[in-house]
Amino acid sequence: MARFLFLFCGVLGALFAIEMLKPVQEAVIQPFTGLLAALSTAIILPFDDTVIAQGRILRDATTGFAVSIEAGCNGVEAAIVLIAGIVAFPAAIKHKIAAIIAGFFFVQALNIVRIISLFYLGQWNYTVFEWFHLYLWPVLIMLDVLVVFAIYLQWLGKNIPNPEPA
Amino acid sequence: MLMRRQFVLTLALMPVTFGIWYAAGTLFAAPAAWVCDLIFGLAYSSIIDSTGLQGVEMVVVTQFGETSGSIMSAAQAGNQIMLEINTRLVSYSIAFYAALLMASNVKDPLYKFCVGLFWLWLIMAFGLASILGRDLLMMVGALFLNAPGVPPADLIALTYQFNVLLMPTLAPVCLWFWQLRGSPLWEALAHDIKRASAKA
Repeated sequence: MARFLFLFCGVLGALFAIEMLKPVQEAVIQPFTGLLAALSTAIILPFDDTVIAQGRILRDATTGFAVSIEAGCNGVEAAIVLIAGIVAFPAAIKHKIAAIIAGFFFVQALNIVRIISLFYLGQWNYTVFEWFHLYLWPVLIMLDVLVVFAIYLQWLGKNIPNPEPA
Repeated sequence: MLMRRQFVLTLALMPVTFGIWYAAGTLFAAPAAWVCDLIFGLAYSSIIDSTGLQGVEMVVVTQFGETSGSIMSAAQAGNQIMLEINTRLVSYSIAFYAALLMASNVKDPLYKFCVGLFWLWLIMAFGLASILGRDLLMMVGALFLNAPGVPPADLIALTYQFNVLLMPTLAPVCLWFWQLRGSPLWEALAHDIKRASAKA
């Protein structure tokens, strides 16, 4: 347990420091955040053709309401927590890689739901939007991370067969 | 099965815990604001004059002032810049933690909640200090950075990211996991962990 905690904190701190570096922000985080906005727009467009993506901004052409996806809203921090947990837990490298890819996908899938829901909540009621944006969605995203990690632990336990008794 | 029960119950309890947290916002924020006042008074008295709580807003009176759009020391300006910080930005960790703990079948839940609350207040204090650091960096700029004991701008940005955007959700999970020991869910998790790590 001590080893896990030490590794978890170390990887978490290192990944956070890397994420904050200006070249990483410019080359990875900002384009990724733009991609999230574009993906959200692509999902909304078949149902609502008034939405447009401008870089990290999601805008409704009719009402003019817009949401900007900023640091802390792109799901990268939550993904970093999950990656730190997976890396710190003893398992085969191939299992870790598979878990990181699948986990990142699940976190980002929920994050896109969050972005889309906030886009419509903001147009409906700003107080509700603030509640969801500042308090509820961060908790739900962290719960998602916890669920994914719990599933990963169960999967690790079940996936590899027990050694045969002598 | 136990894990599924934990998550479903946590989600079901969240409206209750968030409702109580919202109604008693000042009560949950006060100890953290008091710790902040203590830290600022001891370490940053040249930057912060006083700290108080108005509702859920932590009101910070700084040693900086403003005249004709220029930021200077309060003594030179003849006025003091006051900042208001929304304590709910970090205190919602209490509502999340309460939901996680209440959803678990742990022994002495009230005692464990009090212990967790103590740690969360300390963590919240660092979160509030990080928000203040960021606000001063944006509003006061170089004058703040050149004050004694102030960390570099990059470190302020990093601590803000960590203490405000991450810790309010990560700290409750870590505390809950630590306090889960001895519960049926812990036993089930420990079984999974042992199996998984034995095969690694």
